Amino acid sequence: MQTTLPVCPPVDSPVLEVRGLTKVFRRRKAPPVTAVDGLDLTLRPGETVGLLGPNGAGKTTTIKCILGLMRPTTGSIRILGHDVESDRYRAIAHAAAVLEGARNVYWRLTARENVRFFAGLHGLEWRKHRDYCEGLLRRFGLADRADEPLLNFSHGMKQKVAVVATLAKRTPLVFLDEPTLGLDIETSLDLRALLRELAREDGRTIVVSSHDMDVIQDICDRVVILKAGRVVADASVDSLLDLFRTRSYRLALSDGLGSQALVRLLERLEGVAADLKADLKAKPGSGRTELRFTLASAEGLYRVIDLVREEGALVESITQEEPDLEEAFLRLVREGGDVR
Amino acid sequence: MRWVVFKEVFRKSVLEGLRYLFNLVTALITMYLFFLILFLGSRWLVPGLDLGSTTEALVVGFSVWMFTLFAYQDICWGISTEAEVGTLEQLHLSPAGFTWVSTCLALSRFLMNLIPLAFLTVLMMLTTGRWLHLDLVSLIPVLVLTLLPAYGFGYLMGGLALVFKRIQNSFQILQFIFIAFMATPSVAFPWARFLPLNLGVQMLRAVMGEGLALWDLPASDLVTLAVVGVAYLSLGLLAFAHCTRVARDRGLLGHY
Repeated sequence: MQTTLPVCPPVDSPVLEVRGLTKVFRRRKAPPVTAVDGLDLTLRPGETVGLLGPNGAGKTTTIKCILGLMRPTTGSIRILGHDVESDRYRAIAHAAAVLEGARNVYWRLTARENVRFFAGLHGLEWRKHRDYCEGLLRRFGLADRADEPLLNFSHGMKQKVAVVATLAKRTPLVFLDEPTLGLDIETSLDLRALLRELAREDGRTIVVSSHDMDVIQDICDRVVILKAGRVVADASVDSLLDLFRTRSYRLALSDGLGSQALVRLLERLEGVAADLKADLKAKPGSGRTELRFTLASAEGLYRVIDLVREEGALVESITQEEPDLEEAFLRLVREGGDVR
Repeated sequence: MRWVVFKEVFRKSVLEGLRYLFNLVTALITMYLFFLILFLGSRWLVPGLDLGSTTEALVVGFSVWMFTLFAYQDICWGISTEAEVGTLEQLHLSPAGFTWVSTCLALSRFLMNLIPLAFLTVLMMLTTGRWLHLDLVSLIPVLVLTLLPAYGFGYLMGGLALVFKRIQNSFQILQFIFIAFMATPSVAFPWARFLPLNLGVQMLRAVMGEGLALWDLPASDLVTLAVVGVAYLSLGLLAFAHCTRVARDRGLLGHY
């Protein structure tokens, strides 16, 4: 039995359109808090999108507004053309979510009973969808223990049941809020691999919210970074990494650079490179010197090499630093900027 | 869609009922012991007293109170428990709507409660030696209409639990207010007929105690019972809808 059944008819229109979403929490005796501030987001069929942001960035609030679990202060949200506020039930018929992981399922029921119940809540008759759900249980390694109450399960297995119960609804739009939170490394890697496979095979639009950059980098094609309720980056994971990949270099210099020459070189480099760091592995003149710097443009690298030569040092190797999503995320969040 | 949701909710309620069987059994034993205290206590206070129709009134009143408690608690405890275990938001994600899902939960639990509560009623009749008429055709419609306000209060308190969270103490206070509603004499206070449960208990006494059939009951009483029941249920649902709106505004649905 294969689990890769079409979950939604092919659509040309966006799966999700969010326009000007703002959510302000008004509090007694305290100033109001703007959790989401004028957020725009459009998701196309088949995209896997990572929602990143520090604590309080507005990720969960955004997801809950999209699902109609919170009322936006202003803005409009449409799922497959249905407005979440005025046409809520039609809209959420196309969406499912894991919101609190292992807490989203009934621990007294078995894995199979949970999956059947949540699929049924979406109007899916068990006899028609049983094969698909059983396939999911097998794929997530739950089939052998599908008739045991979840009370006997580990946290990771309960989390998997929550994901299967959500996927069993066969909606074209799926939200996974912190799907690997609290899991050990092995279970997290296992779950990530399964989600990556399913995202590619099922053709659903999957939104993953996580603090774990590896999870996003592993599963998603596109990343949306939120800071203080605003989108500060919305790009493909590859292009976001490319943006940072082109600017960071590491130069290893061979022997022959005295301490005075090094100071002089650093002074001259300051005009060319930003974030300049000299990482001295050994004393100047007796060991290896490593320079790490960021350039405004790739052409600046030639100027750096000329300056090194002029000071009498030899370039042993040039390494373009490979940034990961965590570095890109931290720089965007700490230094500001807008990548869209 | 709605039928599938009802089937699955009913199935889940049965499964949970079986898994929590010990809880149900202890609840029934507690109820029975409470009844024994009332019944034997009154005989102990006045030895040799033949309570006569008062015993019938006690059995009927206690049975209605039991049904009321189970109906009311199924809603308000049900909602607060779902919030506590973290599944409430998932129920709100059903395209059938949360009101329908919670109605299915209430209906499922009512159907499941019928057998154990009927058993307890028979046990009370055995204990007292007073046999009541159990004409289900007349009994069930009057009982359902009588219980509608209990569901209304269940929705009201469930809604308040969504917003204010830990309010279980007030759940318990209301259980005793129900007794006051039932016990207010409508002969002395004609407006008492419009209180929740009041008229229903009187009509159930007529059905179970005097053996009157549904069609023997005054039509005006049946209409009043239905109107009062629907009114309290509607008010409860309105309050619940308002509380859900407030909880959505404040982002409280998933909190506990």
